[in-house]
Amino acid sequence: MTSAATPHTTSADLLVLHALRCAGFSGPARLAEVTGLTAEDVESELIDLAVDGLVTRTPGEFEGWGLSEAGRGAGAERIAAELDATGTRPTAERAHEGFMELNPELLDLCTAWQLRPVDGVRTLNDHTDPGYDARVLDLFTDLDQRLEAVCADLSANLVRFRRYRVRLSGALGRARSGALEEVADGTSSYHAVWAQLHEDLLATLGVPRY
Amino acid sequence: MKWTHPLSAQVQEGPDLLGGKAHGLLTLKRLGLPVPAGFVITTEACRAFRHGGRFPDGLREEIAASVSALEAETGRRFGDPRAPLTVSVRSGAGVSMPGMMTTVLNHDRPGEELERAVTDVFSSWDTPRARTYRALNGIPDDLGTAVTVQAMVHGDRDARSGSGVAFTHDPNTGEHMPFGEALFGRQGDAVVSGSALTRPLRDLADREPSVWADLEAALNRVEAHYRDACYVEFTYESGRLWLLQVRPARLVGGAAVRTAVDLADAGVIGRAEALRRVSPHHLQHVRTPRVVLGEGGLPLARGLGACPGVAVGRVATTPDRAVLMAAEGPVVLVRPETSPLDMRGLAVAAGIVTARGGPASHAAVVARSMNTPAVVGVAELTVGPDSIRVGGQLVPEGTLVTVDGTGGEMVLGEAPVTGGQTGPHLRRLLTWADEAAGGTGGGSDADRLRAARSALGS
Repeated sequence: MTSAATPHTTSADLLVLHALRCAGFSGPARLAEVTGLTAEDVESELIDLAVDGLVTRTPGEFEGWGLSEAGRGAGAERIAAELDATGTRPTAERAHEGFMELNPELLDLCTAWQLRPVDGVRTLNDHTDPGYDARVLDLFTDLDQRLEAVCADLSANLVRFRRYRVRLSGALGRARSGALEEVADGTSSYHAVWAQLHEDLLATLGVPRY
Repeated sequence: MKWTHPLSAQVQEGPDLLGGKAHGLLTLKRLGLPVPAGFVITTEACRAFRHGGRFPDGLREEIAASVSALEAETGRRFGDPRAPLTVSVRSGAGVSMPGMMTTVLNHDRPGEELERAVTDVFSSWDTPRARTYRALNGIPDDLGTAVTVQAMVHGDRDARSGSGVAFTHDPNTGEHMPFGEALFGRQGDAVVSGSALTRPLRDLADREPSVWADLEAALNRVEAHYRDACYVEFTYESGRLWLLQVRPARLVGGAAVRTAVDLADAGVIGRAEALRRVSPHHLQHVRTPRVVLGEGGLPLARGLGACPGVAVGRVATTPDRAVLMAAEGPVVLVRPETSPLDMRGLAVAAGIVTARGGPASHAAVVARSMNTPAVVGVAELTVGPDSIRVGGQLVPEGTLVTVDGTGGEMVLGEAPVTGGQTGPHLRRLLTWADEAAGGTGGGSDADRLRAARSALGS
């Protein structure tokens, strides 16, 4: 059921605030990747948010930005308000439900990518069997199509969810072209983006994880 | 009977038709070991169900007849208040599959309930996860699963009841001795799921000497039959032992090497067979360090090993604390489960422990991507703001612990570690390998074993 209303675009400051909520402590480059904004725009939003006391910067070896307690509260409030103002709560609930059905499959596939049973022993997949890797990636592609269907209504109504489609397709495409780390390693991998989408759905609906 | 067979020593059908679980139970019966009464619905019935979308003709009647026979054999009846019959309904394919199902029935309308439970097991063959598993492992989609229906025995009946799992060999080292865990006064599912704190199997010897003697005898008999290390699940009810499952133990790493060499030395198998038993892939794991638990020793907690290796570090309960503490020394991050918000903590941790999740959880996937030893699914673990609680024990943040990501153990303090070097068993096995291959012992351990196996034609 696609609403006839105009798709809602989230303001840049809330996008950055919410990205810190879903992706955790991050630097501007990573936040740019998550939000689709430029790194410069992200930095400018971060500075404004810091002035309001909503985010804090940690210098040093693990430099980056994180939410303050006030930022966590303000973000949750504004995301909930957005959901109600746009009338998209039922749509988000359906997407969450569909997502949870697919989630165990994604985790199984990541495990199959990392470990494969050889002679009854769970062995690290050394990626020397292109046939096996291609079978796993085919299953990822099939799952990805089903995820796209699950999120279609939500993305049609809330523009910020479209970013996941770009990032997920990107990761899968890079993996297909031989960048094997784009499946389950690192912050731009399919697994990492999937996990952020999971966190986003929980945060958007205000569902506690624990 | 076309679709069902009783669990009786006379039944000769193989695991393709009966499933691995029921086939193991029949083996136990033939060895004269105690197995609760029951019957098995064949994989052929499952195939007919999947093909036709309903129970095949005659299956309903056969189930009813099998239930009557079960009631007669046990002297119990469904819904009978004086002697009620309770059954477990379990899936079991001819090949090993994840996500196996168990349902326990004790309702008043057994026919209807049982049919629903059997339908659920048949349908479980076609869940997306099961399909994915088969696609990845080259298992044909049309094999189907069998269904084992068995009278329940109750490990929680009284003070002289309990349950457990037992290996004929220590799965960590391969040493030949009964090894496992027991739960006194509890059902077996709590042992297998790890949802309760268990005792070392050895405690059973003091508590129930006659059950222990029967169990030792049973372990010897199944080991002699399989000529290999074995695993059994058992329950004892009011002092009487019952076996609920048997299979080869499928030991890995150094334990697989030691068991094969010891069995060859004892003359149970030949040297060629010992070489066939050890996969070259096992040798990769022989050199993975493992925690050594002392005699009868128990870890602080046990979960599922998600990424092999041993880590020693101080407990941190939040990603932020992990980052701060990592500046001072190695950290073990302990979380209820993990999400993207834990990433910076996961990145600095030397070891990872979670209360929830299995080997495919977020934490497990991330741990393997970073090659960080990890234990997941520690059921007895709760994580507080600045401490963790395991069973009854409070462990403050900053406490030194050791994590073994192969066996899934978490131990207080810095535990002694084995592995990382070749033992006498591996040296002997590789000598046999060189003899079999007519070689000179060149190449890696795995190369030497591979050469022998190809010379032996396996």
